[in-house]
Amino acid sequence: MNFEQQIKEMTNSNINSINENIFLEKLHSERKRRDLKTNRILNGLSAGILVLFLSWSSFSQLTDDPTVYASIDLQPLELMDLETESYVYELTDYLLETSDDMWETLAFLDEINFEIFDTKNNGGLE
Amino acid sequence: MKSDKELIKDFQGGNEDAFNILVKRHLPDTYGFFIKFTSDTVEAEDLAQDVFIKMYKALKKFRFESEFKTYLFRANINMSNTYLRRNKWRNLLHLDQISEPAYLDTSQEDEWRRKELWNAISKLPSKQRKVVTMRIGQDMAFKEIALVMGISENAAKVSYHHAKSTLKDMVDS
Repeated sequence: MNFEQQIKEMTNSNINSINENIFLEKLHSERKRRDLKTNRILNGLSAGILVLFLSWSSFSQLTDDPTVYASIDLQPLELMDLETESYVYELTDYLLETSDDMWETLAFLDEINFEIFDTKNNGGLE
Repeated sequence: MKSDKELIKDFQGGNEDAFNILVKRHLPDTYGFFIKFTSDTVEAEDLAQDVFIKMYKALKKFRFESEFKTYLFRANINMSNTYLRRNKWRNLLHLDQISEPAYLDTSQEDEWRRKELWNAISKLPSKQRKVVTMRIGQDMAFKEIALVMGISENAAKVSYHHAKSTLKDMVDS
């Protein structure tokens, strides 16, 4: 007997018939299960990507530089000219000396929105 | 009775029953092929199921460039290669290390030889492995094998001849 024949005999299994209807039933349920699994993975991935994007976009807006916060302050930055600023300093000295209540002076400064330019630029840290 | 082509067109048009008819028509050949290949009814059924699940998706885009039967053959061969690759390590760990038992009854001996043969086939180069799988597993003529693989009939014969010599050496040693 030649080798080819031997091989064929070796692989010649008794093939039991398969129930086609049961096979089809299993086939479609497995197919649906896999589709569902694929959809879940895709949805999970999409959600993950969205969360990562939102995290990144939030994180990228955070910074350690206080001037950035000063620059986006809602209150408009109004610069006084040096002469006016110097006048306000003198006025403040005068008010502090003459007034009994220092809080009145501070209330006045607040009323005229006076803030030292350097302080404002550094986010109120100085 | 509708042809495969008509059934595929019906399926592409949304008729799910057409796919079921197609499966029923080709299941015996596909299942038979995998039974020969694995000698295990459960594994054969799983492999056949995998092939038809892939077919379900693929047929929706089928462009009728080849016969469905040829397309299915290719899918079976690819699946058998995947199976061989998947089991390569298992075969290496289990089959190669098990020495031939001192005494085997006929059915055990057949089973042992069959496993040894498929293990040897899994070690063949890809082209030879495909030709042998089609020839042994599906009793295909060289003309059909050539058509499925997109090679000449002579090239298929030469590959088979080389594979046979290699297998003979492997099985005999």
